[in-house]
Amino acid sequence: MSDDYLLELNRRRFLMGTVATIAAGILGSQRIADAYAADFPSRNIKIYVPTAQGGGADRNMRLVTDLWKDVLKVNFEPSFNPGAAGRVAYEQYMSKGADDGHDMLFGNMGPEVLNWVLKKPTFPLSAYEYFFRVDEDPSVIYVSKRSKLQTIDDIVAEGKKRTVNFATSRIAHPATIGVMALGKATGAKFNPIPMGGGRNTRNAVATGELDFGALPAGGMVVQRKNFNMLLLFADKNVLGDKINNAPTVNAKFGTKLPPLVSARAFAIKSSVRQKYPDRMKVLEDTLRKVVATEAYKKAVVKAKAPLELISPGGPAECAEYAKNIAAIGEEYRDFLVGADAAAKKKKKKKS
Amino acid sequence: MTTEDMREELSGGIDTAQDLHKRPKRSAGAELVIPVVGTLFALYYFSTIWDSPWTAQVSAFFIGCVLILTSAIVTIKIIGALRRGETTLNFERLVEPRSYLPKRLGLFALTIGYVIVIQFAGFTLTTFAFLFCAMALLNDRKNLRFIVILSLIMAISGWALFIYAFEVHFPAGPFELLMKKVL
Amino acid sequence: MEFNPSIFIELFAETIQYWWVIIPAIFLGLIVGAIPGFSAANTIIMLLPLAIVLPVEIGFVFMIALYCSSRMGAGIPAILVNIPGTAGAAATPLDGYPMAQQGRGQQALAISFTSSVLGGLITTVLALVAMPWLAEVAFYLHSVEMIVVMLFGISLIATIAARDTLKGLVAGFFGLMIGCIGADYVYETPRGTMGFLELYDGVPLIPALIGLFAISEAMIVIDRDSILTKRGKEAVVTGGWGPTIEGVMETLKRWWHVVWTSIIGLFIGVIPGAGAAIASFVAYQQSKTYSKTPELYGTGHIEGLIAPESSNNGVTSGTLVPLIILGIPGGATAAIMLVVLQYHNVTMGTELFLNNPKLAYLPFTAMAVTYFLMIFTIPPLARYMSHVTVVRTVYMAPIVIAFTLVGAFVSRDFVFDMYLALIFGVIGYVARKTGYHVAAILIGVILGPLLETYFIRAMKMSQGDITVLFSSMLGNILWVGLLINLAVPIWFEYRRDRKKKKAA
Repeated sequence: MSDDYLLELNRRRFLMGTVATIAAGILGSQRIADAYAADFPSRNIKIYVPTAQGGGADRNMRLVTDLWKDVLKVNFEPSFNPGAAGRVAYEQYMSKGADDGHDMLFGNMGPEVLNWVLKKPTFPLSAYEYFFRVDEDPSVIYVSKRSKLQTIDDIVAEGKKRTVNFATSRIAHPATIGVMALGKATGAKFNPIPMGGGRNTRNAVATGELDFGALPAGGMVVQRKNFNMLLLFADKNVLGDKINNAPTVNAKFGTKLPPLVSARAFAIKSSVRQKYPDRMKVLEDTLRKVVATEAYKKAVVKAKAPLELISPGGPAECAEYAKNIAAIGEEYRDFLVGADAAAKKKKKKKS
Repeated sequence: MTTEDMREELSGGIDTAQDLHKRPKRSAGAELVIPVVGTLFALYYFSTIWDSPWTAQVSAFFIGCVLILTSAIVTIKIIGALRRGETTLNFERLVEPRSYLPKRLGLFALTIGYVIVIQFAGFTLTTFAFLFCAMALLNDRKNLRFIVILSLIMAISGWALFIYAFEVHFPAGPFELLMKKVL
Repeated sequence: MEFNPSIFIELFAETIQYWWVIIPAIFLGLIVGAIPGFSAANTIIMLLPLAIVLPVEIGFVFMIALYCSSRMGAGIPAILVNIPGTAGAAATPLDGYPMAQQGRGQQALAISFTSSVLGGLITTVLALVAMPWLAEVAFYLHSVEMIVVMLFGISLIATIAARDTLKGLVAGFFGLMIGCIGADYVYETPRGTMGFLELYDGVPLIPALIGLFAISEAMIVIDRDSILTKRGKEAVVTGGWGPTIEGVMETLKRWWHVVWTSIIGLFIGVIPGAGAAIASFVAYQQSKTYSKTPELYGTGHIEGLIAPESSNNGVTSGTLVPLIILGIPGGATAAIMLVVLQYHNVTMGTELFLNNPKLAYLPFTAMAVTYFLMIFTIPPLARYMSHVTVVRTVYMAPIVIAFTLVGAFVSRDFVFDMYLALIFGVIGYVARKTGYHVAAILIGVILGPLLETYFIRAMKMSQGDITVLFSSMLGNILWVGLLINLAVPIWFEYRRDRKKKKAA
């Protein structure tokens, strides 16, 4: 969003719509843009977003669409459908979205693919595909600066003595799986406490209720005054000293874990590719162009998002990622749905 | 004015509970609606968590059991009162005063209609129509000119304030789309 | 981080120069607070682009003023038409609405405004002075302690239902059961959702609030000409400043009540995630428990209106404490403020007091100035607003239905939520008509999920060991407090009975 546009929009809102001329100006320019786009896209593009307005996904999407709209010469209409950990937006899009390339979804592949492991959606998984990945955000283990445990070795050693509770956004999240995998590899015992959202997950550690936490690293960069980052679930630490040069899990413990990352991506109905392969090509090509521009990088820096996490990827990379994360999800299925907890309870009862 | 007088005065408000308590019990059927619905809901709820992990069960089982227990006590008390002939099994309380029943049902029907129609006719048109019909119904079709003007003002100012000035997402229909194009 | 009064006074003088930002924000906040479905958080999100382009001080002052006044705005419809604008005002109609019905709407509004302003001012100053200690509260109140705090709030069900305890309990537990709807907190198993995806995250509060209070109320009042009772109609004085002044004076007479209920709000506000709803319920419950005339609560008793209003404004100052000292936002509005501040490269935390003390103290001075300016701008409005109570129900009921139903839609953009509000409307109607308290149902719906969240979290941390509930010193003190709290009304009653007997 350019500053001029922002200013205009704001003033109008601030004066509660009394400056009608500016509004007319903005809407007028839309119509002109519509007229220029002859073939595809022929109308505004609607994007279903599985999280609330003002959230991280909203920000990341805007960074792309603010530039993308100039290339495609249409406007974007985000439709925020938070709820049920993203299910609502997917169900809405799959049932109501058009399959002519004008409707799509922008979500977070990690947690949302794990949703399907917990409970299948009403539509077949092959009915949609992720076609463009924007970023990759690896999970990181962090502690409060006030905490007694200040290194990853402290945490693992403590986990061998007792079960250590840790904060996580939700159970079905790559970060949670990462910590549980670390426990498996080192013999330490960890107990995930889902806090429901990044803010609560940070607060629980900041207030000392929980010993450590695990979240995507991107949001932790601006928080580094309060927290120390200790271990990264990625192949290499692209963020460097922005997250205290935290070592990667595979380098530190010699494990062979795949990267446990959140990855924001655009998704679309699979039928679009069958019906309009040319339109898919337009979408993919223009997106790739947009994300490569300097303007995009500048916007990312301005929004305080780490530049290092930008990681464009096409349908193949997305499919590969979704396959991996689904496989890990299946591996940890019992843990995710609480079946292991139920089994333990039964065992206790029997004994 | 004593407390009792004050309670007497406040009917229909948040104090209905106390109010009705003072009247003779004569509408056992109506009083059983909440306990019965609550119990049925609790039982349905239990069926959905039967095979779930303990985290899904503990508090719901506790709350549901207390709900069923308290509902059962209420029911037993009412049955006792029925036996003693202090009350009858009717639903009178829900529909009283009878003279207002047609209006109440009419208003409720209009309200349901409002929710259905607003999805495609949009906020402004539906609100105008609803306000007009409901006010005309409640006011026995008197003062129609005033009602038209009032409905129009409410609908238009609602549109101007929320949809136009605040850009709030309201259900959109022909009017909203037209105005968007015009402006 | 020592308190330095000279900075405060200097800042107060400086902040008051932003009156041109604060006053529009006050009125905007009043409006959005009064409409169910809107909130300060939503409004700031809508105005986010504006908050970002403004210089950081102005943007911050704007957000704070909006936040404070929206809290106050929520009380207006709660008093006048029995519809709380937000969950934080859900305890306000308990005594506010009966006052309006008795024709004392103008006094009630004046009381609400005065206790909000005083509560806000007192807690702002207190927060400022006690900031370093208050910030530590969040470090001690963890899940276990929060379970007890929630129970303090939930015990209000028993208090409200004092006259017919059994029905009150049925209503309260029915509400708690409805509050249990939604995905399991840990493993996300859908529970009691009847297959609706829209209920996975639990029953949304706004439609519940709108249905239980607004829709059912509108359906009920149509058999009367206006919401006023017979006597109320005779008593109502429209026009004139008399009732406003009377309301202000009545509140000032009870200044001590304002002080201690607002302090409850301050403490609860400091705890991340607790919020205004719980604070106003706890304050109301405490106010009634320790009152000499508990039987008057629910009949338009002044203390019963002061308690929730001053405490929910106390929350407003409370939420800012962890935000500023620790960078921990206590609630949604505070979280959005944090985003805006981060955008401006302002990092909250103790360093801010060293690097930029003016900015660190600004939120509190802005809050103080906002409340100060409200003294002159808001109470005069009571006179005009109270006219709402004499509007004929034939016009009022349809307007309330239409606008609140759309409010139910706005909070999540789901048509489903409008149907949900209708269902809650039916539940509320039946409950009111048959003597089950809707407020008890609502307390259950609001606090039930919060209680469960803390409870399951504590149980998950202890891996199912129930003794964890009594594992902390502070928690045990709170448990004892809760028991005392439940015993006191019984003891008072017993003593009164004995006195009566003696007198007889």
